[in-house]
Amino acid sequence: MYKVSRVIALVTFAAMILVPSLIVVLGSFKTDAEVYNKPLSLPETWSLGNYSRLLSDSDLDISFRNSVLVTVSSVILTLIFASLASFAIARMITVSGKVLAGLFALGLAIPAQINLVPIYYIFRDLGLTNSYIGLILINVTTTLPISIFILSAFFKQVSKEMYEASEVDGASPLRIYRSIALPLSKPAMGATAIFLFVINWNDLLWPLLLIQESEKKTLPLAMLAYRGEYFVSFSMLFTAVMVASLPMVIMYLFMQRSFIAGLTAGAVKG
Amino acid sequence: MGLPALLLFLAFYLYPALQNLQFATRRWDGITEPEFVGFRNFTNLLTNDDLFYKTLGNNLEFTFLVVIFQTIFALLFAVYLVNNSKVNIALRTLYFFPTILSSVSVGMIWLFLYDPNFGALNLFFNKLGLNSFALNWLGDEKSALYAIAFTQVWFHTGQMMVVYIAGLQQIPKELYEAAEVDGASRWKQFRNVTWPMAMPTTLVVMAYTTIQSFRAFDLIMVMTNSTAGPNNSTNIFSTLIYLTLFNELRLGYAAAQTIFMVIVMILITWLQRQTFGKRYEK
Amino acid sequence: MKTKGHKAFASLRAGVVATVAAALVITPLAVANSAEVPTFGKKCTTEGVSTGTSSKSLVCAASSGGKLTWQRVRLAATNANPVAALTPPKGSIEFWHYRPEDKAHFELIISNYEARYPGTKITQVIKTTTDYNATARVQILANPRAALFATARGSIFNDFVNSGLTLNISNQRFVKQNLVSKGLTAGTVDGKVLGVPYHYLFNNPVYNTEIWAKEKWAFPKNLTQWTAWCKDAKAKGYVPLAWPGATRGQAAQISNSALMNSAASYADLSKNLEDLNSGKIDLTSPWFKGVADIYVKLRQAGCFPDNPTGVTEASALNLFATGKSPILPTGTFSMGAVKALNPELGGKMNLMSMVLTDGKVIAEGIMNNTFNLSVNAKSSSTNQKIALSFLSYLATGPVAAIYGNATTQHVNVLDVEYTNVDLLNTSPFQGKNTMLAPRFLILNTAVSDLTQDALIQIVGGKNTDEVLADFSKQIKQKLAG
Repeated sequence: MYKVSRVIALVTFAAMILVPSLIVVLGSFKTDAEVYNKPLSLPETWSLGNYSRLLSDSDLDISFRNSVLVTVSSVILTLIFASLASFAIARMITVSGKVLAGLFALGLAIPAQINLVPIYYIFRDLGLTNSYIGLILINVTTTLPISIFILSAFFKQVSKEMYEASEVDGASPLRIYRSIALPLSKPAMGATAIFLFVINWNDLLWPLLLIQESEKKTLPLAMLAYRGEYFVSFSMLFTAVMVASLPMVIMYLFMQRSFIAGLTAGAVKG
Repeated sequence: MGLPALLLFLAFYLYPALQNLQFATRRWDGITEPEFVGFRNFTNLLTNDDLFYKTLGNNLEFTFLVVIFQTIFALLFAVYLVNNSKVNIALRTLYFFPTILSSVSVGMIWLFLYDPNFGALNLFFNKLGLNSFALNWLGDEKSALYAIAFTQVWFHTGQMMVVYIAGLQQIPKELYEAAEVDGASRWKQFRNVTWPMAMPTTLVVMAYTTIQSFRAFDLIMVMTNSTAGPNNSTNIFSTLIYLTLFNELRLGYAAAQTIFMVIVMILITWLQRQTFGKRYEK
Repeated sequence: MKTKGHKAFASLRAGVVATVAAALVITPLAVANSAEVPTFGKKCTTEGVSTGTSSKSLVCAASSGGKLTWQRVRLAATNANPVAALTPPKGSIEFWHYRPEDKAHFELIISNYEARYPGTKITQVIKTTTDYNATARVQILANPRAALFATARGSIFNDFVNSGLTLNISNQRFVKQNLVSKGLTAGTVDGKVLGVPYHYLFNNPVYNTEIWAKEKWAFPKNLTQWTAWCKDAKAKGYVPLAWPGATRGQAAQISNSALMNSAASYADLSKNLEDLNSGKIDLTSPWFKGVADIYVKLRQAGCFPDNPTGVTEASALNLFATGKSPILPTGTFSMGAVKALNPELGGKMNLMSMVLTDGKVIAEGIMNNTFNLSVNAKSSSTNQKIALSFLSYLATGPVAAIYGNATTQHVNVLDVEYTNVDLLNTSPFQGKNTMLAPRFLILNTAVSDLTQDALIQIVGGKNTDEVLADFSKQIKQKLAG
């Protein structure tokens, strides 16, 4: 019973992901008429026409580079700042820990888009529009509360005795953070990193507001432009989805392995 | 230690957020001189704005559906796939896959799947002879919100599953071994070991999914051609605020809506903690 | 003019009668097919016939003596010849617009321009319409380098004007001499030209000439004939109108046709729309109920697709491009996209009137001028000079021809030679009695959106009175905030 329901559930969800993916993959080789009328069949001729058309008039490579730069920088900075703050909150080692916990809990309840207009004026005055630094700053800021929320939940799980033992040894908080908390929280950091990567990678709102120059556009922003350009042609849109996602899928497969490896070798279990 | 985070947060999050309180007492199009109107925006919202209540209802329904189903499916698949076998790892990789797509891509794909005339979904139902299932998914105000909620769950279940797996793998194996020695059924094991031990993760997942559902903005805008759905049936707070702000240029009114959204979100978070957090602490 | 569209172009000339009073909209006539060789000042026979829309074209008009003679067509504000582009100072500006599909064409035009004026640089900043309408105004206000920007006619343009962003360019020579002056209305406020509407569109149904000929259909001339036609087309297995109910902006095109003959005169209609905009009347007014009733009748006749509210623009275009639908009720601007979907339809599309009344006909078609190009009043004077220079460059015939032919779009510029077959075929519509698209007279975006949404709901099958009452209430609440 358990086994049967397990297999049914797993296969159904797998199909729900595979079939639309297949439609997109096949669609990128088809004409629009084929996409509409026979979405699931193989293309009549495997034509790369959509790809050559897209690549000849696109800057997707530049956008991809921008997305990598902004996302990686944002994730690393957020992880550093958030884990420091989470450690402070979890250990309550300073007064600021309590203040932080309260503030970030509040920040968690306030979604980022309410700050659209104020942020635009503030960033303009600081000269941070059309700038990677501006985008990274706002990415880090808006993802801090959720990162801290996730990380501090994990930090709190790490047994108090371990901290206390090391405190008896006279280690400084920074040292405890570096040599005990961080290694122990590897799985949490890994999970958070993936979260952040996904949020920053997909984010449309802030680039939309802050980036105008086409050579600084991130991938979702460039994709949005293609939606405008090929708004009636699903074969072209699917091609754009393919070109934008494919390098990401390859990277993801690679990252996923190290992520799962990190989980199994986690300090908490070991 | 938390100083860098604190500074960033104060400057680029809290300060602009508080500016909204000031905006909410203004009638302002963002350009001309703002006009001070006191609490008029708030009273208008509460007493003379059916759309606001409709949006509140939509948002609560959307969030409720997404949180419940996404959490259930994420936990279910996490339990199914918690062991690191090759097949499981492959399936996890697959399930997580939609998450790496941008919401623009996902919105475009589902816009196509849901198309009543050419979409693959209706083609599928019609082929099976289930013509009554072939709905006007995004075009009918009865189904549009559910259709988008479904896409949202499809989009992020894998992500939450990974969080659950991380949590489940930290549950000591001995607990299961002990339960098995006692002859506990799978359901009993789940009930007595997995569920309580995964409660911290559940809280994280539910809180995150709640926020995420409030941020379904990109998906709704792409899937409804920026209209918030037929007869506003998929208008949630984030789309309402965005449209009020940019479409209608009513900054003050949007700020007042923002404040109500914040109140609602705090209430939901509090409710979740009351319901699940208390039991966890026992 | 060696394309096959030429025939259709010429054959229509005889059927078109335009008055000289409305001579700003001229029926072009192919000189080669004409019995009389038009010569300036010589006698002519058919009033209103012209040799084209260029600055050198002639029109047959009554002279001061009452005789019909060939006179110079006067499309621009003055009789003077078009001027060349202004020479810019060195520097660089940004050109903001909302047409990603034009990117490559503007790139070509800009590279020609930059080659001609070394040291001057124009950078395009492009957003999709939705994002542009949502964020561009705030961003341009903060960015004086955005010296040239586009806005859609109506509420968006109005918002930019109210923000003091649009420079008065009434006195520029190219504005007076290079552009069709009737087409400037959409960019003119209180007699001042604050934007140059670059597009000259026809928001009338596009039909598939092949299907039309095959089915031997006659053109419906009034509401009764339209409903009868829909029933016939539906019985023959077609989706009569490929109406995109899920894309508000395009679903709304048909409302222009419904509105244009809904009041006793254009003045009455614009007053009604302004009253609706200000809240003086609402959707339950007898006039608007009449408009809604047109939609009900079309719905009952089966004119719309199944699940009409779920039909996206992409899916409507596909219905038309695949021949499932003989009519695409949007406008000329959709023809390029249709051809991209099905290249075989090139040259097989034309425009038709959509008179949706059985009463008095005030107008037989809709035209619209949009894509208003304005110079940023808050930019430095050097940047404004560059913007003006580039704008004047765009307003020269050969440059506008590159743009018009590439984008399948009529442009509001004199001396443009259309080589695109679909543009040629549809050009004669300029001779019809057209009305500037009335729906844009509702300047308040919220009111405009809710009005269209109400009509969409009615097509979706909801009770008309309930919808009108419900949406009137929503409009009232929006106007109260």
